[in-house]
Amino acid sequence: MTTIESRPETATKAPPGAKRRRRVHPVIVIALGAVLVVALTYVLPPFRNYQLATVGAYFCVTAGLTVLTGLNGQLSLGHGALMATGAYTLALAQNRWESLPLSFALAVLVTTGVGAVIGLAAARLRGPYLAGLTLAVAIVVPSVTSTFDETFNSDQGLSVFLEPPPEQYPMEQWQAWLCWAAALVVVLLLALLVRGRFGRDLRAVRDDETAAKLAGINIARTQVLAFVVSAACAGVAGALFAYLAQSVSPGAFPLTLSLFLLMAIVIGGLGSLFGALWGALLLVVLPALSQSVGEQTGSQRLEGNLALIVFGVVLVVVMLAAPGGLASIPSRISRLIRRNR
Amino acid sequence: MSTDSQLKELALHDISVRFGGLTALDNVSLRVAPGRIVGVIGPNGAGKTTLFNVICGFVQPTSGSLTLDGRPWRPRPHHLSRLGIARTLQGVGQFAGMTVLENVMVGARHRHAESEALAALERCGVDRYASAYPGALPYAIRKRIELARALVAKPRILMLDEPAGGLDADEIAWLGALIKATGTTVLLVEHHMDLVMSVCDEILVLDFGKPIALGSPEEISADPKVTEAYLGAAA
Ligand SMILES: Nc1ncnc2c1ncn2[C@@H]1O[C@H](COP(=O)(O)OP(=O)(O)O)[C@@H](O)[C@H]1O
Ligand SMILES: [Mg+2]
Repeated sequence: MTTIESRPETATKAPPGAKRRRRVHPVIVIALGAVLVVALTYVLPPFRNYQLATVGAYFCVTAGLTVLTGLNGQLSLGHGALMATGAYTLALAQNRWESLPLSFALAVLVTTGVGAVIGLAAARLRGPYLAGLTLAVAIVVPSVTSTFDETFNSDQGLSVFLEPPPEQYPMEQWQAWLCWAAALVVVLLLALLVRGRFGRDLRAVRDDETAAKLAGINIARTQVLAFVVSAACAGVAGALFAYLAQSVSPGAFPLTLSLFLLMAIVIGGLGSLFGALWGALLLVVLPALSQSVGEQTGSQRLEGNLALIVFGVVLVVVMLAAPGGLASIPSRISRLIRRNR
Repeated sequence: MSTDSQLKELALHDISVRFGGLTALDNVSLRVAPGRIVGVIGPNGAGKTTLFNVICGFVQPTSGSLTLDGRPWRPRPHHLSRLGIARTLQGVGQFAGMTVLENVMVGARHRHAESEALAALERCGVDRYASAYPGALPYAIRKRIELARALVAKPRILMLDEPAGGLDADEIAWLGALIKATGTTVLLVEHHMDLVMSVCDEILVLDFGKPIALGSPEEISADPKVTEAYLGAAA
């Protein structure tokens, strides 16, 4: 091949050192995470283990949402409703067939199907129209439960029949294991999916649709796939919530849940799976904190709103201090250190 | 049949495009033989980018047809890369949230995307920016990255929309050498006359959407119609 002499211009502007950083393989990160979680479940008291389990359940949905919104640029206000879909499917399937693996599989399947339908419509919409569509989903899905109240038992919801865990393990520890097993599998699959070509396609579509088309990417297909993947994750999370609470009711999946999920992934760092972990942690910690504050001040009416206020404040503070979210802090620090050396 | 398709890899037959009352292209025909470098010139608003948009399927012609390898063809943007057609955008259409290397890897449709992307960056002399983000880089560098993303797909037809815009004389000379060395069919929209005259085998001149001349660089520079419509207006 003919080589052409290239003129090095502004060579000093180039970042020094290696051409690119090598990342640790996701399998290793996940394996370390699994060891850490299992160790934690042996030292934490039961209530903390229950909270840990809840973090795992939230992690599934925040990880899927950050791929959709952060990497592919599709905003969804409907993920709370998708979780409700997964939760109700688990409850109905479990009460009928009493097989947890089957109920989980059905919950994910049904939620994925619903996600595909929404995704097909979403791929035609942009910006505020997309937000509007997913908002409609968030409002319609819970109202389905009161329309078909023979199946869904309206506002009371359904209780979920569950076998007790093996007796040598405390209930909460067992729950934490199950939730985190699911979360780590979900996150591993997501990490493997987005590190290759699919991940690049997602981000290319987000950044410039025209250039992405010219690079051979089918925009609509990429967007629908992203929505489907993300919905499947929400389905897993919803099923885990039904399992944890041993019941489902429309009140557990309000519109504010979807708002909290979005705020959580932004605070954690949009598009980052580590950020999704931070977000999941905050989704458990911040409401618990505001609840205890609410109790101390003796104002019970404040509780719900207080969590929203606390989240809002944290969002603003984090965005001011680290616009890339909590997940971007380590690299910011290392950059600072390098610059000052 | 095969000789026929070799003679015209890509052809436009009486293409017209109207945007409401505006005629952006008026009965434009063009036959592009494999390996030829074909320039498209004309004053601003002459319809050059629209011509590219028709070939890429971004704009549906109001009338007329296209053929690829002698067969009727209705282009779709995301099929181009599979058909071996790559295009750079007039502005620099880059993925701001991805590193330079990833930007180029998006264009690579093969298994060894990373090594091929690095090779393309090297060929364009910008491999040292692989881990940088394009938004922070100077315009001329970004133009080269854009070129690398088109080249990485190893296209048989390369479409360049004003690749020399914003470049200095040395960079334009480098670009000219690169274009000649690609060995592929090239469609080149460009304002920089020296570049067009030195690299093109054939030039199509558009004026208000009308094809006013088609021929070799010598023929074009001697054509009084061209001097009047284009060179005259520019002088
Ligand atoms: N999508 C469009 N809708 C309406 N008018 C357009 C569109 N694209 C181009 N035009 C018009 O068509 C004419 C030709 O534009 P263009 O092909 O961009 O010219 P050039 O690239 O030669 O400068 C211009 O008058 C432009 O305003
Ligand atoms: Mg143009």
